[in-house]
Amino acid sequence: MKLKNIFRYLMMAMLMVNLSACNSDTDAEQKFDVTPTERLNAQKKELNDLLLSSEQGWKAVYFTDDTQLGGFTHLFKFLPGKKVEMASDFDADTEKHTSDYDVVLGSTVSVLFNTFNRIHLLSDSGNSPTTALRGKGYLGDFQFLYYGQENGDIIFKSNRLVREVRFVKATAQDWVDLEQNLVMEQNVIGGDTRPLFRFLETNDGTTAKKYDFSFSSVTRFSNSEAIDNSGEVISMGVGYTPTGIVVSPAVEVKGQKLTNFIYNDADGSFTATGTSGVTASIKYSNAPLVLTDDYKLLLPGSGNNVYAYIYNTTKPEPANSALFLSLLANAEAAAGTGLLIQRIQPWFNNADGSGYIEYRFAAVANPAVTIARRYHYFTVSADAVNKTVTLIPGVWKSTATAASPAIATPSFLKALDDQFMNPQGLYFAEISGLGYKAYTFTSTTTPFRMVAYSFQ
Amino acid sequence: MKIVEKYRIIVLLAGVLFFGACAQEEPLTESQLDYTVPEKTALDNWIEANYLDPYNINAQYKWNQNTVDNTRFLFPPMVDKVQPALDVVKQIWLDSYSAVGGSDFVKIIAPREIVLVGGVNSNSNGTRTLGIADSGQRITLFEVDYLNTKNRANVTEFIHTIQHEYVHILNQNKSFDKQTWQKISPGDYTGTWHLENLTVSRNLGFVTNYARNNITEDFAETASIILTSSKAEYEALLASITDPNGKAKLKQKEAIVVQYYKDAFNIDFYALRDAAEINTNKVINN
Repeated sequence: MKLKNIFRYLMMAMLMVNLSACNSDTDAEQKFDVTPTERLNAQKKELNDLLLSSEQGWKAVYFTDDTQLGGFTHLFKFLPGKKVEMASDFDADTEKHTSDYDVVLGSTVSVLFNTFNRIHLLSDSGNSPTTALRGKGYLGDFQFLYYGQENGDIIFKSNRLVREVRFVKATAQDWVDLEQNLVMEQNVIGGDTRPLFRFLETNDGTTAKKYDFSFSSVTRFSNSEAIDNSGEVISMGVGYTPTGIVVSPAVEVKGQKLTNFIYNDADGSFTATGTSGVTASIKYSNAPLVLTDDYKLLLPGSGNNVYAYIYNTTKPEPANSALFLSLLANAEAAAGTGLLIQRIQPWFNNADGSGYIEYRFAAVANPAVTIARRYHYFTVSADAVNKTVTLIPGVWKSTATAASPAIATPSFLKALDDQFMNPQGLYFAEISGLGYKAYTFTSTTTPFRMVAYSFQ
Repeated sequence: MKIVEKYRIIVLLAGVLFFGACAQEEPLTESQLDYTVPEKTALDNWIEANYLDPYNINAQYKWNQNTVDNTRFLFPPMVDKVQPALDVVKQIWLDSYSAVGGSDFVKIIAPREIVLVGGVNSNSNGTRTLGIADSGQRITLFEVDYLNTKNRANVTEFIHTIQHEYVHILNQNKSFDKQTWQKISPGDYTGTWHLENLTVSRNLGFVTNYARNNITEDFAETASIILTSSKAEYEALLASITDPNGKAKLKQKEAIVVQYYKDAFNIDFYALRDAAEINTNKVINN
């Protein structure tokens, strides 16, 4: 090709480019009316205005990780000048504290509590509720990403674990009532005077299903295993409210999600109510959830079986109930200064057909040497339906021979002994995991439970 | 006109047209960015007067996720703990270096930012990280909430952190003689230093267990422990080493540290230690 032609084509090409260059159609299609900066600024303003808009501030039950931890209620009152007043039920200090906040750009627009306040207690690597969480505190965040609004609530997600945190408009009463959450905590933990057994019961309107309820107050988390041996477990984080508890994840019964449980002080129960008869309740029970046939070991014909509370063996077991331990301490104190009860040893089906509880005493200074004994004779009756035994009281003796005379009831033992001789009967069941064979004697009517070493 | 000449003119004209064609000036509007200066508190003014103006060091006590390790569960310090902590840092660290190294020393080689964190920084192996130096630019100090300025052990541990981290920053500016150092205790460094026994480590020629992590930490620990001890305290430490080999090794390391300060920065290391001790006493007794 000649040089002239090369120039000619080049010029034509340039002219074409030149003439079409300023065509404004080349702009990318505008999806938004304003620039990204303007949109972010607008969103920041929207969030800040929203935070300031609630007269009594906001309430959030913050479940940092509802697979292992419960909810911590926080109240926030945002003030002009980027100040915030905050209160929480993390510990006994439910007072209001003031600090700073800011609305900043994280991975999206977010609210950041940038100076120390109550919410930071959840993010203290030096204070973790369990060894598994060592170095991670309560997995808390104090920067929350703004995800919009829903029915007047502000929806956030935590910055690191990306859990939904919902800010609900607070009322003046919420601030007054916050300390009630800690009263409710004690109701969830359960008092010494309540029955020893506790279960979570779901009811879909026709059938009820029971789960063995357990709760850890340090993590505010509950695991309840179905008693039908299906292995099904209902796990939930628990947050305290002045009237009960709020749980996450929700307990699902017949497709309904139940989260708000109301406390009933009469029986210590918590109940969440859905529609069409659907409920979930946490209740106390005097009866074990699973009844066993272990009680038959105590009946005539099953051999000379002997069990014992032993001061240096069974006493530390957590299954000994508070009522048992307090009655024991009272009896020791009433027996005389410097004395302890070395053993409480029920004997069944002795060679002569008798049965008795043997109480052995020793000096605190020399606990291994028995210095006195008292025997309370009994006969046994059983209830095959409820799977209980009743010890029917007979005479007291200080020596366990037929010839020895009866003595008056030792007054210092009476209150403790009455629990064994409960006319309503006792549950008797093996307990595992103690490192030795053991059973529990549990009252059918009071929170009395004693762990007993099995000599068989 | 030659054809080439003709086309040259045409090309020139086309070029002018080409580059001038789309010139369209849009008037500049006001910035979208927020330039308003946040209201300053008394603490902010104090930081400005004592850190920012004289040393060009910013002290950050408000949380910013970009300056901390987001995988750790940390939190900002209590506001009323910030000034006492910074005051201790200023008196024992900044003032000592200024006194011995000249008033411009820390202005030139210094972290540009000190980040304060309230609580402990726990590691999964059970240890605590007391401080971090990033790229010679930033020092993060932990456990600000727990500093008790009247407790010597507490102040010493806190100051040890910043002395240690500042040695890293000095090293990041000018390296020490790593080859010589490496030859002193080559086989005794270990990643599981936290499981070691202090007496054993000292007898191997290390000033602390942490010094056994690697030679950089060994240098920083040797320098910072001497700086946070009085002459008598350090002599007692040396006297407690029963293995003569270990004692010789530690003395060798000390000599390298002293030489490094002299050669790299023309600083008399022992004078610096004495200044730090005087300033520490001032902090605790005031």
